[in-house]
Amino acid sequence: MNPAIEVKHLCHQYGSQTIYRDLNFTVPTGTICGLLGKNGQGKTTLVNILMGFLKPSSGRCLVLGDDSFHLPPSTRARIGLLHEGHLAYEFLTIAQTERFFSGFYPGWEREIFFDLVNKMGLSHDHKICRMSCGQRSQVVLGVIMAQNPDLLILDDYSMGLDAGYRRLFLDVLKDFAALGNKTIFVTSHIVQDLEKLVDSMIFIDKGEIIQTELDSFMNSFHCYDFEDGGELSLAKDEVIRGFEQRGERISVFSFADKETVQSHLDSMGVHPKKMREKKMSLEDAFIGLMGKY
Amino acid sequence: MIYSIFYKEWIKIRYFFLALVCLNGAICLKIWVDIRQQLQAEHAEMIWYQAIHIQSLFYSDIRYIPLLSGICLAVVQFVPEILQKRLRLSLHLPVDRECLLAIFLALGLGLYAVLALLDTAAIWAVSRYYFPVEIAVSSLTTFLPWHYAGFVGYLGMSLILLEPSWSRRVFVLLVFSGFISLLFSGSGYCRLNPALPWLMLLAPLFFLTVFQGGSRFQQGEVT
Repeated sequence: MNPAIEVKHLCHQYGSQTIYRDLNFTVPTGTICGLLGKNGQGKTTLVNILMGFLKPSSGRCLVLGDDSFHLPPSTRARIGLLHEGHLAYEFLTIAQTERFFSGFYPGWEREIFFDLVNKMGLSHDHKICRMSCGQRSQVVLGVIMAQNPDLLILDDYSMGLDAGYRRLFLDVLKDFAALGNKTIFVTSHIVQDLEKLVDSMIFIDKGEIIQTELDSFMNSFHCYDFEDGGELSLAKDEVIRGFEQRGERISVFSFADKETVQSHLDSMGVHPKKMREKKMSLEDAFIGLMGKY
Repeated sequence: MIYSIFYKEWIKIRYFFLALVCLNGAICLKIWVDIRQQLQAEHAEMIWYQAIHIQSLFYSDIRYIPLLSGICLAVVQFVPEILQKRLRLSLHLPVDRECLLAIFLALGLGLYAVLALLDTAAIWAVSRYYFPVEIAVSSLTTFLPWHYAGFVGYLGMSLILLEPSWSRRVFVLLVFSGFISLLFSGSGYCRLNPALPWLMLLAPLFFLTVFQGGSRFQQGEVT
């Protein structure tokens, strides 16, 4: 089966600033893939390129088998797209929004839209511009779900949402994925939410990526904790992928096992006492790999 | 599909369009009241002298109203689309970009045509009531460049709003402003009549430039 998204040798620049250099990854059909990266690493740029809203400097992106920069209407009809900030036509009411979008999708499922929207208890004559960010996200989610797309692309769905709306969003996405053969490509700032959702992840940092299965990443990436009296500064290398010091407490992040890290530190003149492996959440691992700043 | 796009555009524009209808109607009403009052206050010979010899247009108050209407329609239609780049919502719909923009422009120009017809009918009626048919006919041809300026103003403002690059926006502004100022050059009746057919040959070109702006908006070009 063809991958839902295929990115080959993608390069992009804004002026002299390089955003990506030879980016390659695929998102297989029927999987949920999370794109994680710190602010300004080009997550939204990548979504814009995938949806044909930005022309890459070079390289090729295929979405559902078509060139992303020339997606035909028939392919766009199969893609549910959530823009950053839950973009919606704010001058429309709920009912007008449904009426507008329903005209474009032959398989439009009106019940799905109103099931989601009615949870808010708002009148259908309520204007989008008078809604909170959470309420607007429900309308946008309703629009996307009612399209019954094969591929969902969600650009920072969690932006501005409280825990309740985020949970609702995740529940809907899980139910959608359970329908089978549906692909979700999602970016979010709330890393712990993705832990409950995604099958695989793409970490993007300084124009380069690491693509990994969630389970495989959580099993292979480790945090080793120890105490050291002095001020330490460890550079990133093949073994040490992240380093953090808070007072005397030091955390080293690595894909290597404990013995390898221990001997590597020894070779650098650092002799950790009582080094132990610490359990991590996805968010801890994300910060360990990407750093805080 | 076409109905859905018209529906959304109409909801966006409708109150502003009604405001423009009121504005155009109010100006026409003022023109009628002014000429009526002038005819009551002055001798008919004086009015005739002003209208024919001095070529003072009794409907000159409406001179820039078509341009203002065209620009306002474009602003009302495209500003909500470019704020937060909301047009991306429509560009992701399963419809060709050119078809989408053509429908946008068809509605905007259609509504502009309604305003132009309203003004033309009102000025024609006032002219026919108070003046001979020759003056009424000449008012229509005198009016034509002003309507054309409104048409070009609508397309120019649409292009400026869709264009992602500021330097190109300034260039487009200069080109369209220059052309529009040409349409307002001179005074008196039918001043531009000999040149107008040639100037109108450029209309399809102005229309097509908006599609180029739409393409650049989608591609996110900023150079």
